[in-house]
Amino acid sequence: MGFLDNSGDIILDAVLTDLGRERLARGDGSFKITKFAVADDEIDYGKYNKNNASGSAYYDLDILTTPVLEAFTNNIASVKHKLMTIPRNNLLYLPVIKLANEVSGLSAGLWTGASTGSPATNLYLVTVDAATSLAAKESGPTGAVLSNQIGVIRGDGAPAGDMSDPNTQIALDQGLDTNKIPYSFNLDSDLIENQYILEIDDRLGKIATPLKSNVQGLLPPNFIDDDRIASYYVSRTSNQNYVSSLIPASGEQTDPNSTAVAGPRGTRLEFTIRGSLELNTSTSIFTRLGGEFNITGWGDFYYIDSAVRVTGVTTGYRVDVPIRFIKKK
Amino acid sequence: MASTFKTFLNNDRTTTRTLLHEAIPVTGTIMSGTYGAGVFGVGTESNIKNYSHGMFQSVYDYPYLSSSANHILDLTVGFSTGSHVSSSAQDTTQRKNKINIYNQMAQVLVGHDKDGKIQRFDVDGNLADGAGKMNEVIFINFARLLSKDEIKKGSFNLDLAVGGDFNRSGSKGAPMSAQIRLNDSSGSDGYFVNSPAGEYGVLFASNHVGTPIKSAPTKAVDAAGLIYYQAGIAVVTASVFVSGSTLGISASNSDNALGDIFVNAGFQKMYPTITGSALSASCDNFRHRIANLSFNNTTELNSTIYFCRMNNNEFNYSSNPTYLSASQIVTKTVSTDLPVSYATTIGLYSSDNELLATAKLSEPLRKDPSNEITVRVRLDY
Repeated sequence: MGFLDNSGDIILDAVLTDLGRERLARGDGSFKITKFAVADDEIDYGKYNKNNASGSAYYDLDILTTPVLEAFTNNIASVKHKLMTIPRNNLLYLPVIKLANEVSGLSAGLWTGASTGSPATNLYLVTVDAATSLAAKESGPTGAVLSNQIGVIRGDGAPAGDMSDPNTQIALDQGLDTNKIPYSFNLDSDLIENQYILEIDDRLGKIATPLKSNVQGLLPPNFIDDDRIASYYVSRTSNQNYVSSLIPASGEQTDPNSTAVAGPRGTRLEFTIRGSLELNTSTSIFTRLGGEFNITGWGDFYYIDSAVRVTGVTTGYRVDVPIRFIKKK
Repeated sequence: MASTFKTFLNNDRTTTRTLLHEAIPVTGTIMSGTYGAGVFGVGTESNIKNYSHGMFQSVYDYPYLSSSANHILDLTVGFSTGSHVSSSAQDTTQRKNKINIYNQMAQVLVGHDKDGKIQRFDVDGNLADGAGKMNEVIFINFARLLSKDEIKKGSFNLDLAVGGDFNRSGSKGAPMSAQIRLNDSSGSDGYFVNSPAGEYGVLFASNHVGTPIKSAPTKAVDAAGLIYYQAGIAVVTASVFVSGSTLGISASNSDNALGDIFVNAGFQKMYPTITGSALSASCDNFRHRIANLSFNNTTELNSTIYFCRMNNNEFNYSSNPTYLSASQIVTKTVSTDLPVSYATTIGLYSSDNELLATAKLSEPLRKDPSNEITVRVRLDY
């Protein structure tokens, strides 16, 4: 996409998204615009210079000269970072959603093992079939099962164990990640995320229950768009396995290391991923969209890099969790 | 409660209709001469497509075998069963096809009378009287790519060479030295609505180059065709090339001086061209006489306008990852500083939170509690 001409009057470049056109063509009344959101995808607030010697009128000079791209028609690629309405002007801190990979006892650590070819680190490996999950280490100290390693999510559909099993899940914590406000303070209720949207490429994987549910099941997607991106809505009221409060019933928060956020806490989101049937039964998507790499000690694997996008419905805050689907060669 | 969406109210949306016009110039060199034809417009022309069925000829703006080519118009010729040339005694080539073409076009554009009979094209638009019937006509069917929703009334111009010898090296002079212009000059305020194919106007002839039209041209005499605006079809009477006929407009009666159609190595008047040639050859002959063609098309845009109103206390914070540093808003030093955000994008959503349309501002707009912004997003259908 080109940049919009910003030399004169402000112009507006509006397009239907591919999903919008698809719904319009469907003719069943599903194309109905009911609300709007405002976003600042191009803006880097790091360019806001509060120390400009010329005064406050110059603080945002660099931001205001940011060139803006033409509108994308892909519904997934647009409106990534929404502006928020909060009816108070005195907020200095806003909550974030943070990967809880370092929180002990959550089994949510990232893969940090050695690999070559197309090295993978600081992401989650998702096994797509039993042969991959149960692959035993071939060299060095042999025998260790791949799916028992930290950062490897067992995505072959086998029943998950309880929390004592050395499987991995994905967990994210929401809250203020600052030491300036003690974690014992409560997060403002209107800033607590009670509902999340998870998006994943449905050709590759599906959202499954977190480890603590003991029985592995799939979360039904709410919507799959024309690009086969599946959207899942999970809420604290309807999906208690997935979303839980980080605030104990007593309201007292005593353990400073039990969450990924340093300050006042909101909710925790946990889930696992199951590889799709296509990945489970075939290598064609791997060869088309991915490549091959070697996990040191475990041998050669096919892989596809992807991400799970987690968005807080209330604040619009969004995190992309990197994942790599793998299949033993 | 923090939120990222704002619901449209009833007074936040409205609908409008806009007519968009484009000027469409079709130069004579596109019609003949640019792509492979000889200097006389004769020979293989790679932007002209003839079909094995022989019913019409297509003109492209580039050699039609190329994927870059755009179809611009079709040409065909027809005559009614009421025409003198329709009798089999005239030894007409493709006689049946020409009658079929006439009837087909008349059925669509003129319709049927009370008895269900196909009516003939009438140059004055008065179908009830018997006068002004066009029995031998040339059809120019414009591709929708050009005519879009309709041809703008009053904008149609067709310059036709009506001079003698098309062979510029010949002894009878260049045909382009005598040209008439067919124009729907009354189209903007006087057009007919009694066609089943929409509105149509009369094409009147005037002298364009030289004075090929007999003296004192008047609209009553010089009506030479019809232009169907919504259908995008021009119907030109073959008698524009004929001297002295009822609808004829040429000034001279001398043979080969005016009204000749050049066919390969010889000259033909309109009569043998229509009767003795295949449709493709008739189309060739007419096409080579087109000096210029232009009109304005019309696209009807139906728009919904959404007023995205950002009040002073709305959209002042951002979920952009760069907005926070250790959860602190980077544009603030103390909590009493006003929050500020910068809007670049508007997303229009369905009730199930799916993005149906996006709009981009050409520059970031600062939003803080001291201002309100209304962005007018127009979606055209």
